[in-house]
Amino acid sequence: MSGRVDGWRWAGRVFLVLILLFTAVPMVWMLLTSIKSQFAAMQYPPQWWPKEPTLQNYTKLLDPTNPVGNDFLRYMWNSFYVSLATTVLGVAVAVPAAYAFSRFRFPGRTFLFFAVLLRNMFPAVVFLMPLFILMRWLGLVGTHGSLILTYLTFGLPLSIWLLKGFYDNIPIQLEQAARIDGATRFQAFLLIVMPLSVPGILATSIFSFIGAWNEYVYAATFLNRQDQLTLPVGIQRFFAEFATDWPGLMAATFLMSVPVVVLFLVLQRYFVRALTEGAVKS
Amino acid sequence: MAKVALENVVKTYGPVTAVGDVSFTVQDGEFVALVGPSGCGKTTTLNLIAGLIPMSGGNIRIGDKLVNDLDPKDRDIAMVFQNYALYPNKTVAKNLAFPLQMRRLSKDEILRKVTETARVLDITHLLERKPRELSGGQQQRVALGRALVRDPRAFLMDEPLSNLDAKLRVQMRTELKRFHQDLKATIIYVTHDQLEAVTMADKMAVMNGGTLQQYDSPKNVFDHPVNTFVASFVGSPAMSLVPLRRVVDGDTVALAGNGWQMPLSPANARKALGAKSDKLILGARHSTIALHDTPHAGTVPGRVYTVEPTGDVTFVQVHVDGAIVIASLAPDVPVRSDTNVWLGFDQTRMHLFDGETQMALTQT
Repeated sequence: MSGRVDGWRWAGRVFLVLILLFTAVPMVWMLLTSIKSQFAAMQYPPQWWPKEPTLQNYTKLLDPTNPVGNDFLRYMWNSFYVSLATTVLGVAVAVPAAYAFSRFRFPGRTFLFFAVLLRNMFPAVVFLMPLFILMRWLGLVGTHGSLILTYLTFGLPLSIWLLKGFYDNIPIQLEQAARIDGATRFQAFLLIVMPLSVPGILATSIFSFIGAWNEYVYAATFLNRQDQLTLPVGIQRFFAEFATDWPGLMAATFLMSVPVVVLFLVLQRYFVRALTEGAVKS
Repeated sequence: MAKVALENVVKTYGPVTAVGDVSFTVQDGEFVALVGPSGCGKTTTLNLIAGLIPMSGGNIRIGDKLVNDLDPKDRDIAMVFQNYALYPNKTVAKNLAFPLQMRRLSKDEILRKVTETARVLDITHLLERKPRELSGGQQQRVALGRALVRDPRAFLMDEPLSNLDAKLRVQMRTELKRFHQDLKATIIYVTHDQLEAVTMADKMAVMNGGTLQQYDSPKNVFDHPVNTFVASFVGSPAMSLVPLRRVVDGDTVALAGNGWQMPLSPANARKALGAKSDKLILGARHSTIALHDTPHAGTVPGRVYTVEPTGDVTFVQVHVDGAIVIASLAPDVPVRSDTNVWLGFDQTRMHLFDGETQMALTQT
């Protein structure tokens, strides 16, 4: 009996180790390659461990006076700007929307809520052409505004859905108590509900930030001027232009993943709470 | 403190009537319990008084002020919730201070009142803790403290004791009653537990299906229930109700079951004659029923179903004409299940209800 349980446990561990290798090995290889010289990176058989590790790829990318570094930093700034705008606008809309879906009973509430989720039934590419045509009508093609709007349409449903789960779990009696204690409805929301929903808002923000930060297809379609490109598209350009510079490419990729990983590590506590709190009724 | 008056209060949700035409007045300093089974509209009524949900019709006055359209914050009431609704991110001290801050009291005054309230409730040592670090009983006290910290015109309490364990509940019941006496507070208290209502309240409002059934002192509700619902809801164990027939033979009026008749006393006969039809319901509390092992004049045959010793008394459930009648015995009297017994009803303390309308029959 216990032998069988142990057997399953070991099988589970082996499976987890395989998954871990599957996800971690490419990352480690990326990191190792990024600190090699170009010559070392092209060697065969490969240098498993860099013999002369160097940070020159990183200094190049982060040096604004270097033409490559200048481009890279501009892409990074573009990505940051688009992602931040998407996140801030998204949260500003999602918070009141989710609160309303959670607290108020109004005609068409269920219909609206599912309509909001409808978008998520289709892959993003399906909307590429319609949105492109729409953006052309609006005169937004070639602007960051087109990306921000697009990312909002994709990110908002998920944000609203996540946040609603959060608000559902905050007992309505807290607001009622606040209103009886002398708060207006808005004060009750601001002073009592908002502080309690900070973890949910943070988790939602990470979601929408990462989504915007990583997005490639729309950024590649809607933007055309080189100085407007976001990181995913910009790195793609590196790939085309400096095809042989593997260490430089790996360093750029690593730098791109840094903000996402850092955000996730710092806020993962809230993240897990956001995902589980909506699911489990206390 | 102030009196609270409800006049023809109605609350509907679409086609559903949650509260239908409820009127009662809570006098200044009175402790009134709103009781009834789940979904009877008692909590909705309390929320209407608090102003947390809008009314569909009627008037509510607190003091002499019509508060129909006032926000909860302007009604000057305090409320204790079933789940306590303590602000989880604030310390106990800040929880207590919140209602005072909202009313823009000075810092000194807030500190003075919080300290005083904490002293009265014996929670001074908890002031710097967060609600989640408190036991259920301590949270209950803090919730009470947040209501007591200012002088509201009335206290509303929504099942404040129902999340406590049985022992603590009895202890808090005593304390609440004491608070009421000391503060001369107007309290409206919602509970599904008729025992809490009977033990604490000056008056109880028994609700069922969104309507007020009876509004009176616990003693009057217990002794003179207006209908079969109130009769079966108030008292533990519940009043036994047996559907029977009225038989009139010249001057004598009797209740008849399957193969037996019980002649009624003149007073009860007059009540029975007031019924709309021959269908009557006999109501009797366990303490007014005598059990005999042989038939006597005027007794009713039955068969023992179960025997439940509780220590102080033994409750005996007896099948009478398809209904269950609960009688009580001293613990040392031997009774066995599935034996025949004869029940003697105390005619001065029994109740008669109209079988059609379910209303109590009274002497006219």
